[in-house]
Amino acid sequence: MNILTIPLRTMRKKWVKTLLLLLVFTLSVVSIVSLNYVSRVVGESLEKKLTAYGANILVMPRSEKLTVSYGGFSMGDMLMGVTDLRESEVEEKIQSIGYRDRISVVAPKLVAMTRVGGAAVGVVGVRFEREKVLKGYWAVDGAFPVAENEILAGAKAAEKLGLWAGGTVDLGGRIALVSGVLQPTGSDDDSVLFVGMDFAQAAFGQADHVSFVEVSALCAGCPIDEIVAQIAEKLPDVEIQALQSIVKQRMYSVHFVEHLILTVSLVILFIACCMVGATMLSSVNERIKEIGLLRSLGFSRGGIFGIFCFEAVLIGMAAGVIGYFGGYALSLKVLALLDMAGEAELALHPVHLALTCLLIVGVSVLAAFFPSWKAASIEPSTALISL
Amino acid sequence: MLEAKNITKTFQSEGVETPALRDVNLSLGKGEFVGIVGRSGSGKTTFLNVLSTLLAPNSGQILYQGEDVTGFSAQRLNELRNRDFAVVFQFHYLLPYLTARENVLLPFMNGLGTVGREEIARAEQCLERVGLAGKGGKLPGHLSGGEQQRVAIARALVKKSTVLFADEPTGNLDKATGESVMDLLAGLKRDGLAIVMVTHDEDYARGADRVVRMADGVVVG
Ligand SMILES: Nc1ncnc2c1ncn2[C@@H]1O[C@H](COP(=O)(O)OP(=O)(O)OP(=O)(O)O)[C@@H](O)[C@H]1O
Ligand SMILES: [Mg+2]
Repeated sequence: MNILTIPLRTMRKKWVKTLLLLLVFTLSVVSIVSLNYVSRVVGESLEKKLTAYGANILVMPRSEKLTVSYGGFSMGDMLMGVTDLRESEVEEKIQSIGYRDRISVVAPKLVAMTRVGGAAVGVVGVRFEREKVLKGYWAVDGAFPVAENEILAGAKAAEKLGLWAGGTVDLGGRIALVSGVLQPTGSDDDSVLFVGMDFAQAAFGQADHVSFVEVSALCAGCPIDEIVAQIAEKLPDVEIQALQSIVKQRMYSVHFVEHLILTVSLVILFIACCMVGATMLSSVNERIKEIGLLRSLGFSRGGIFGIFCFEAVLIGMAAGVIGYFGGYALSLKVLALLDMAGEAELALHPVHLALTCLLIVGVSVLAAFFPSWKAASIEPSTALISL
Repeated sequence: MLEAKNITKTFQSEGVETPALRDVNLSLGKGEFVGIVGRSGSGKTTFLNVLSTLLAPNSGQILYQGEDVTGFSAQRLNELRNRDFAVVFQFHYLLPYLTARENVLLPFMNGLGTVGREEIARAEQCLERVGLAGKGGKLPGHLSGGEQQRVAIARALVKKSTVLFADEPTGNLDKATGESVMDLLAGLKRDGLAIVMVTHDEDYARGADRVVRMADGVVVG
């Protein structure tokens, strides 16, 4: 038995009130924890889905462009000192940066020109399985290329060259099978032919040679500039560009979701705070005589303050622990309902648990602070005759 | 041992000034039993509260063992209330969720230190002294009014205080029960406890060594 016996007994005696307070707090912790966990997973998966709208980093050979004209005769643009870009090297270097787990897709491209039946057409060598991730919006009449000699024709190119899904075409002396035709996209993709990288390297370039590499990085956890800087460090002779506008668009949606969740969490916390404050205040008023008695027995102001705060600490602690596990369980349930359970594994985290408890104890003590302070500052004689 | 000098207290509520005490003096010897009587509203409770440090006077001094307690720090006041002074009110003010024994032990529970065996034995002894041996485990709600007041008196005894302030301790009890509480107080006085008791029943005041009469905030005799 010591001073803490008093709040413990009160809580037991007024167990309905204690339970209700605990319930309110626990529910708010549950919703905050689950909102945050679910939002993290949804945000990540949202970003992964948004990757469909293109790459956000461009890796290009470093070059000097010169527009040459002499005596009124234009010789067009000349590219000087083009460094060679090796597919295997770029791939390996990018996968070795510190933020490698933020790299979603690395899509190399080899661009070439050729003639098909007298008409000039652009040919782009790609790794189809990666291109498919990067261009999730692609719709194909026919099938996606699988075999090495299969190609995908852009809508305009197919029309110009008279290609159809299932037909064949002579590309640089090699016969390729048109496995599918892209539906119009409104982009440069419409006017070119996509061929497998190995085929393109064999027909138009050298093995392992690429024109440029598109990279899609997930920016939820880090700024794009840092990813770019890390790649630049690994590939010093190459030009790396961040496509900021794409990053901004993409992160806008992710941040919007995050801010929304944060706001909702704060509102919930505020409501819980008001509840505890109001309950504490009424309990102080109801127990003023008791406070007067304790003061007349020599209890200090700090002691009275402690009696009321201890209640808040206990309720906050319990709500923190129960709420954290409840919130974790709820987020698993919600993610399962959203069919996202597999997308990111959630793990119980002791640090999160500790932080949750700390936050909620802080909030409940804060809410109890004014009533407790009020309780502690009543003059004993006034308290004894009140009500 | 306890001396009140030129105490004045004026209450101010909603702009109205009520002079409750006007230049009141009193001295209490060691082990003395003083009764304070007077009509309702004469300032008895106010005076007792000022004496027991539960209310600060507007002016005047309260000397306890030669020191003016009105200038005490909050900490020294708490120590004084906990150790030297004990109070009993018209209403028992027992905490309903603590047993009689635990209520008696309250003065020991003002810190984080755990109440020890010795203190519990002391509480039992006090309960026995007020005639409640064996009832320590009961909750206040399961005791009669007289028994509740005895528990409150036991609580006042547990710290072996030197002065007991009692404000109409019999006010809420029937005549017979009131008599028995008065007998108890007389017994405590014989044990050496100084007592200041407020009452408006002249009969009860007869057990006191000295009776102080109050009217309109002043001592009249
Ligand atoms: N907190 C207060 N605020 C304002 N006036 C007060 C307060 N307490 C007491 N008074 C006034 O002071 C005067 C003395 O009151 P006090 O309670 O000391 O009387 P009492 O002698 O104890 O009366 P009773 O026998 O009815 O208990 C009364 O006029 C009362 O109205
Ligand atoms: Mg009175």
